[in-house]
Amino acid sequence: MRLGPGPRHAIPVGILLLLGFAAPLVAVTAYSLATPRSFDVFRSLTLANYRTILDPANTVWLSFAWSLLLAAATVVLLAAIAYPIAYGLARLFGRWAGLVGLLFVFPLFISENVRLYGWVLFFIKGGVLDGTLRTLLGIGGPDVLFTPGMILFGMVYVYLPFMLFPLTLGLAMVPRDLIDAARDMGASRLQIWREVELPLAMPGILIGFLLTFVLGAGAVAEAKVLGGQSVIVITHDIEIAFTYAQNWPLGSALAVLLTLLIGTLVLLVLWRLDLDRILGRR
Amino acid sequence: MRRAIGLWTGLVVVMLYLPVLCGVLASLGQSRYFRFPVQQWSTAWWERTLSSIEIGILIRTSLAIAACVTVAAVVIGFVGALAFARYDWRGRRLYQKLLLLPIFFPQPVLGLALLLWFNALGAPLSWWTAVVAHLVWIVPVVTLVIAIQVYGFDPALEEAAADMGASRLMVLREVTLPLLWPGIWSGALFAFLLSWGNFPLSLYTTGADSTVPEWLYAKMVAGYTPMVPTLGTLATLAAAGALLLGGGLLALVRRVREAG
Amino acid sequence: MAEPILRLAGVGKTFGQLRAVDRLVLDVEEGEFLTIVGPSGSGKTTLLRMLAGLETPSEGDIVLRGRRINDLPPEKRPTCLVFQSLALFPHRTVGQNIEFPLKVRGVAAAERRRRAHELMAMVRLPADYYGKNVQKCSGGERQRVALARAFAYDPEILFFDEPLSAIDYKLRKTLEKELKDIHKETGKTFIYITHSLEEAMVMSDRIGVMHQGRLVQVGTPEDIYQRPRNLFVAAFMGEVNQIPVRRNGNGTWEGLDLAGHFRADATAERGHLVIRPELMRFVSARDAADNVVEGLLYNEYSLGSRLQYQIRVGEKVLVVERSRGDAFAGDPSAPVLVGWDVRDQLFLED
Repeated sequence: MRLGPGPRHAIPVGILLLLGFAAPLVAVTAYSLATPRSFDVFRSLTLANYRTILDPANTVWLSFAWSLLLAAATVVLLAAIAYPIAYGLARLFGRWAGLVGLLFVFPLFISENVRLYGWVLFFIKGGVLDGTLRTLLGIGGPDVLFTPGMILFGMVYVYLPFMLFPLTLGLAMVPRDLIDAARDMGASRLQIWREVELPLAMPGILIGFLLTFVLGAGAVAEAKVLGGQSVIVITHDIEIAFTYAQNWPLGSALAVLLTLLIGTLVLLVLWRLDLDRILGRR
Repeated sequence: MRRAIGLWTGLVVVMLYLPVLCGVLASLGQSRYFRFPVQQWSTAWWERTLSSIEIGILIRTSLAIAACVTVAAVVIGFVGALAFARYDWRGRRLYQKLLLLPIFFPQPVLGLALLLWFNALGAPLSWWTAVVAHLVWIVPVVTLVIAIQVYGFDPALEEAAADMGASRLMVLREVTLPLLWPGIWSGALFAFLLSWGNFPLSLYTTGADSTVPEWLYAKMVAGYTPMVPTLGTLATLAAAGALLLGGGLLALVRRVREAG
Repeated sequence: MAEPILRLAGVGKTFGQLRAVDRLVLDVEEGEFLTIVGPSGSGKTTLLRMLAGLETPSEGDIVLRGRRINDLPPEKRPTCLVFQSLALFPHRTVGQNIEFPLKVRGVAAAERRRRAHELMAMVRLPADYYGKNVQKCSGGERQRVALARAFAYDPEILFFDEPLSAIDYKLRKTLEKELKDIHKETGKTFIYITHSLEEAMVMSDRIGVMHQGRLVQVGTPEDIYQRPRNLFVAAFMGEVNQIPVRRNGNGTWEGLDLAGHFRADATAERGHLVIRPELMRFVSARDAADNVVEGLLYNEYSLGSRLQYQIRVGEKVLVVERSRGDAFAGDPSAPVLVGWDVRDQLFLED
């Protein structure tokens, strides 16, 4: 069988995704069905790990709840923070938009640990905030480090670009003429936003929400670096199972559950979107 | 409203870079533990960091991974972007969405999954396995970056060249690559920088080798020294340098071409 | 004379160094169909956007019924613009698009629906299009939706920014006539811009010709066609023959890029003779027309019902158009005589 040029060019990416993404997920699933605390993958088949997780005595659901709650809160806060900036990038900044955009992209190239640790240096006793306040006003800085609020702050900080750029892309999809036309027909700013801008930018908005929620639900560095041990998020639990606890099957089962949750959400949203329109603007 | 949005954007940018600045401050103090305001400024920790053999190895490992990732990601991503945006084929929509899945996936979980998979294959973990891990999420990003350029590319140009007797290779060299190079170049920059700064994937897949972000993390959790903010700042400066160099080159070539 | 509905008093717009619109002075009468014609870059779209309130004039005043509206935002102006792109909301149905201005104003759903159907009938859209997705509509249908939506706003003046430019020739002709009919039925004031003089001729009561930010001539279609004020307007009408001339001592004019002496009713020293191709004819003798030149026939084109000839006279090429019944019958290889009468030519002073 001869393949057309399209499928032929898709082969390298296809192989990579098959071996680097699909296969590892299959491996995780296989491990999740192995005997607890063992390494005999593919040789044992049991639901014991899932039973352990679903056991009401197990408090792992709390980690799930924290992760989802933090992720949801991150999405809400980021929407409010990033929307005006996205509007500026898409509409107002003109020739400065490229430079401003670059300022928001660059942090992606710095390891999130480095940036989060910068905040530790800022908020810690004797750190930048504490030191400044002490010198200027003679009072100490607030004791905010290692609290759930701080984790949320860190997540909002790290995932900002993942909300900002999809929103900008979405807003850029709204033709200028439509906004002008709505104004010309007497619509107020709020009416334009609700009737024209929001529905037309929705694909970008959905991508931004989805991306930040998914990444937030799997976030771990924020909780570990900024949160101390105040909250254990689900990815942290998975990590513990893999490292200290040496219980790979249990960790795998948790990972499978998280993947199912995220996967369902992603597929639900992604399947409705027309990527050609969002990226190509044809 | 214009002014309010400008002001808000400025404020958020300041917040974005504030922690980076804190790292710089911490790297320039003399004392073993960070105190602000800094009592005694010193470049001692910079000298120590730059002369450390251990850190030299870290940087070399990180660079090696980033270089391999860049080359492989650009090749795979370029071909993948043509399938994404250039050709119209049945299954393209599905392909576009499948390609995005690794981006929409928490990296720590992906790293662990790869760890299991390499383990099941019996592959020994080293910086090579980290290259594979990085590729899984960097290739989709690079593909998207190049695809955006491909959308603006008129396939008729390729057809015209072929019509005038150019071979497939000549069409690629004379038409396709020259027109798509800004996208390819941006894709390469993204690949390099994203790999350079990546932590969650490296953590589980480098085995005994260690990258800069991994080392930083290990020291943050246990064993802080001012070399942590120093190396962090160094890594940031390196990324900024690469970006300026890459971006500058892009702008320069573009200007020369437009003038010529 | 009644007060004009719209008065432009030295309205101008500058972008940096560029004077896009140069201090226009113009009165628009209530109920008229005024078309502004000009090539792209002549400033006509900028003018329209200023009138609609989407741009602010750099100088001068826009006066609506005696009230200065320079600083009135578009949503407060009793005017509505039909965009070149039509600016239909792609996520809304035909009905929802038409009802948009009513919804914005808080009109109840039932009343909106009734009004939308009325307007659809007016613009000749079938009633069952009410629930149709606008993106599924054809070019002509989208056109009608945009028009109905503009009327739903119930503006005092409607502006049109070349809305027909993307439509194929035949349908465009139909829509032009329909628009003219709707103008008559509604009695609203229409200000229309286009780069096609042909379109302007069909629809307008008055035409303003714009060139480099200025209104070079304003008049009825007849005026513009018969008495163009300068060469730009004359040439903008379509293909014309232009012969630069200088007065001789003996009361005739001497061609500057074309050897020969010409007669004209004029007193100026220098000017251009402008002759439409269809007013030139082949003649058999030098005295068979007021002005005659000799040249070589070197090309012939069919324009459908008419034929066009290119005649080379020295370095210059003249264009002659004849109907098929009056085709060139002579020897195409021999020199030919082309002539026209003084009453068919225009003399434009330099």
